[in-house]
Amino acid sequence: MRPNGWLAFFGLMLALSLLLGCTREVVKEVIVTPVPGPTATSQPEATAVPVETSAATSESETENEGPATTAAVSSGSETEKVYRIGIAEDLTTTNHWAYLGPDGTVWNGYVLGGSKPALYGYSAQRYDWVPSLAADFPEPLKEVMVDGEPFWTTEVELIEGVKWSDGNDVTAADFAFTANTAAEMQLTGNWPSIVDPEYFDHAETDGPNRLKIFFKQKPGLARWQFGLAFMPIFSRAYWEPVVVEARQAGDATEQQKALYSHIPEGEPSAGGFIFGQWERGAFAGKDRNPDYSFSGTEVALYANGAYSTSTAGLNEFTAYGEPGGETVLEYVEGPYSESTIYSIYGSQDAAVLALKKGDIDFMLNPLGLSKGFQEQLQGEAGLTTLENSSNGVRYLGFNFRKEPMNNRAFRQAVATLIDKEFLVDTVLQGVAIPIYTMVPEGNGAWYNPGVPLIGKGLTRQERIGRAVELLKEAGFTWETEPRVSEDGNFVEQQGEGLKMPNGEPVPAMEVLAPSPGYDPLRSTFAIWIERWLGEVGIPLRANLTGFNVIVDKVFNQQDFDMWILGWGLSAFPDYLEAFFHSRHSGLEGHNPGGYNNPEFDRLADELLAETDLESARQQVFEMQAFLAEDLPYVVLFDTPIVETYRSERIEFPYTETWGGLQSAAGMPGLVNFK
Amino acid sequence: MTSYLVRRIGQMGLTLFLIITLTFFLVEAQPGDYASFYVLNPDLPPEVKDEIRAAFGLDKPVWQQYLIHLKNTFTGNFGVSFGNFPRPVMDVLAERVPRTLVLFLTATAASFYIGFFLGKAIAWRRGGLFEYAATISGATLFTAFTPAFGLMMIWVFAFKLGWFPVGKFLDPLVWRGADVSANYVFGNMLLSAAAFIFFALFVMLLLKKFGRRMPSAVAVPVILGGAAVILLAWTFSGIGGLALDIVKHMVLPVVTLTLISFAGTMLLTRNSMLETIREDYVMAARAKGLPDRQVRDRHAARNAMLPVVTSLVYSLIFAIDGSVIIESVFSWPGTGLTLLQAVRSEDLPLVMGAMLFIGVLSLLAHVMVDVLYVFLDPRIRYQ
Repeated sequence: MRPNGWLAFFGLMLALSLLLGCTREVVKEVIVTPVPGPTATSQPEATAVPVETSAATSESETENEGPATTAAVSSGSETEKVYRIGIAEDLTTTNHWAYLGPDGTVWNGYVLGGSKPALYGYSAQRYDWVPSLAADFPEPLKEVMVDGEPFWTTEVELIEGVKWSDGNDVTAADFAFTANTAAEMQLTGNWPSIVDPEYFDHAETDGPNRLKIFFKQKPGLARWQFGLAFMPIFSRAYWEPVVVEARQAGDATEQQKALYSHIPEGEPSAGGFIFGQWERGAFAGKDRNPDYSFSGTEVALYANGAYSTSTAGLNEFTAYGEPGGETVLEYVEGPYSESTIYSIYGSQDAAVLALKKGDIDFMLNPLGLSKGFQEQLQGEAGLTTLENSSNGVRYLGFNFRKEPMNNRAFRQAVATLIDKEFLVDTVLQGVAIPIYTMVPEGNGAWYNPGVPLIGKGLTRQERIGRAVELLKEAGFTWETEPRVSEDGNFVEQQGEGLKMPNGEPVPAMEVLAPSPGYDPLRSTFAIWIERWLGEVGIPLRANLTGFNVIVDKVFNQQDFDMWILGWGLSAFPDYLEAFFHSRHSGLEGHNPGGYNNPEFDRLADELLAETDLESARQQVFEMQAFLAEDLPYVVLFDTPIVETYRSERIEFPYTETWGGLQSAAGMPGLVNFK
Repeated sequence: MTSYLVRRIGQMGLTLFLIITLTFFLVEAQPGDYASFYVLNPDLPPEVKDEIRAAFGLDKPVWQQYLIHLKNTFTGNFGVSFGNFPRPVMDVLAERVPRTLVLFLTATAASFYIGFFLGKAIAWRRGGLFEYAATISGATLFTAFTPAFGLMMIWVFAFKLGWFPVGKFLDPLVWRGADVSANYVFGNMLLSAAAFIFFALFVMLLLKKFGRRMPSAVAVPVILGGAAVILLAWTFSGIGGLALDIVKHMVLPVVTLTLISFAGTMLLTRNSMLETIREDYVMAARAKGLPDRQVRDRHAARNAMLPVVTSLVYSLIFAIDGSVIIESVFSWPGTGLTLLQAVRSEDLPLVMGAMLFIGVLSLLAHVMVDVLYVFLDPRIRYQ
């Protein structure tokens, strides 16, 4: 090209670039949800959490007094009531069907939750099962015949006058549309645990506010009261055309893909906030729903167990006794903030610095703050740190298909040797809480206080003595028996040559546990368990490895001796069936250890079909008693959830809550400003 | 030259195939898969778990998955990201690339300019205090542990001094209610930068053509005038405030990246200059009595540029790859952070898409450098 040609080319490029640089384009990606309107409760939706009267055990609250030296509340936020929350990962969708389907991340849940009503929910703190959109408790299940087919049905009356933000009423037809769509389209992800296709058949309406639900078989508490009844309800007016279009697309998978790929614009909300804007990788924002039907609802919990709510002009409800006497919790439903903004930080370090600096008021993390971050935030002016119990367990599991793990006395001896209190108090400096049962004590309604707590309170000498005794009684022998010093402080003689009751030597075994980088607590436990068992002659090696490796070996291949992992639990303990029923012991089942007790299986089956809370409680108590003796898991510990918020700017009506503030998504509907 | 290019493109195809194959099997070799996330949910019936695997195509044998992937790749179908289901991989990458480009191109340009300037200066005045100071500080920063250095920069300049924001690429309070996306602003920033570069080149070309009538003193004001026009256009575009917010957030990561990487260019330039200044033509220029600066900049430095420009081209191409560490530390959601998150969650299509993208660009970079050599050094000829 000759110079003149170059000149023309550069000239053209310059003109084009300037032209493009100065034009303005409205980009469709930005979802500006307009229309104001009303709805439900500020509690997070559908995530399995607790039942009745489980005491929320807040352990401490530390407010750091003194003038805030870090000032720095960003522009405009001092005059405007904007609740600024930090989150560690971006959303992956704004489509609620997809969130409950293949995009079920906790981060999506934090942001998208609370915009859809549900028939029932949990009360604050105590986790009573209470109506939300329903006007009262449902009618008892009854068996009916329809066209010669047997069904179990129940009827629910909805509160009249609850509105979507587009002005439409929230009706029984919305519930029927949502549940029927999930069932007919065979939605995947978490949907089947909400609308279980083995139980749910269909839902019908009887007028705008009366709902009739048909089940194929009698649903227990887990499938109905703590399953379908918590289903987020979608606006039929908005979603029906989308669903109709999606169902034109090929097979079931293609139809689901079409539904999940819809990007909602102007989707009505029935919660305290309307989804407003999502700048991918940066932030998401929700704006206050000025017509929220439950705004101003007065909620009260009484010491006598009673629960009451009152929404002016809409509904009044009381349950679990007569309201009166001492009030344990009282608050008025918001929202009080104009907007909630979720800022996305790529690392926790950055989010913690932002919290210290005053850029955010609170940071959401399902695990709370780690020890290092807690120390960083300690003593910072204007911040308050909370500590709440969480509902989870870290456990040691056994492979019942191998000897000697299939020997109950052996498992009890192992449980006896593990000194949880010593590890937690001395080695781990109190960052964890030792626990002994699969239903943690904090879950007051379902915890059985009568089960034996093996090894609790024993001295070192007593532990070894008891373990040796248990093994001897079961027929184990040693070439050299272990011996503890007289003061009980150390093992003078390690056990050697341990033999099983059949005379064969105990084989070398391995315990799979997460590496220190993933979880230092569990890896510390694994190392000490190896040491303690080694002292009595049990040849165990701790293999600290990747989480995925453990999951693959334990659940997919079942090629292991023992393993250490953890579970987050729901308040209603139907997980006992999922973890320990023998039908789940196949590959990829949740009973990879292969625990098999016909009596336990019978109780687990009864629990699944039980519709009465008190009977269910008795079954759960009995199941715990079996597990405490049989020990398919040795439950080790749990960690409290520690969180920090900017108390110089915001306040919550209560902070003592099981699972911490994050379990209520940071309470955007209740947070108020100072 | 043509036959050389054809041969290189053939080699590129083979290398690309190897990249795809290796990446696929490396990711596949990780224990578990994306569906494990759901498989661990005890509330899901077994048949539902199977359906989930089928929906992600994970129910097929590995070799079949590989063949499908190979076919899709060569037909331009990168599939759907598991972690952003059902969003296409290319859509996710297209969203992240501009953010990385703006950050890393700026940092690359800054570090090369500083590195080249310092490199030629310390080579010209060897043995002085300046050389020792620049070399020691450059080497120290070059070997700094990047995550710790990044966090230290945030702690000092963002948290303690409050001069800059703590990470991220925008302030949500500024962007609330904005009717344009950040990517639109990023795109326009890139276009403006391109416009400015074209304009500067255009002016320099004019100088070369009409040099005798257009003194070089005119060039600087004209180029600055061009920059002013672009700034003016931004001011009246209605999105200038949003762009300014991004620039504000860019400063700290750009400074950090520049400090970490300028020493590489500086030392390369220094070594290249040391060889060049021993050449006869440099001695001849000095003997003619040309000013020292003119000898250094026009005779020595220009000829020392060849390896530096090569390195620059590679850096520019690899800027698209971003940096996992810098993007994580500064909460800058570009391609590096996306790749890291995809690997961690075993989002196979996204990992493959990102790796393929980076692979193709790096292969192209090598060809570009080969071609560029011919233009920069007329002595080079390919057979």
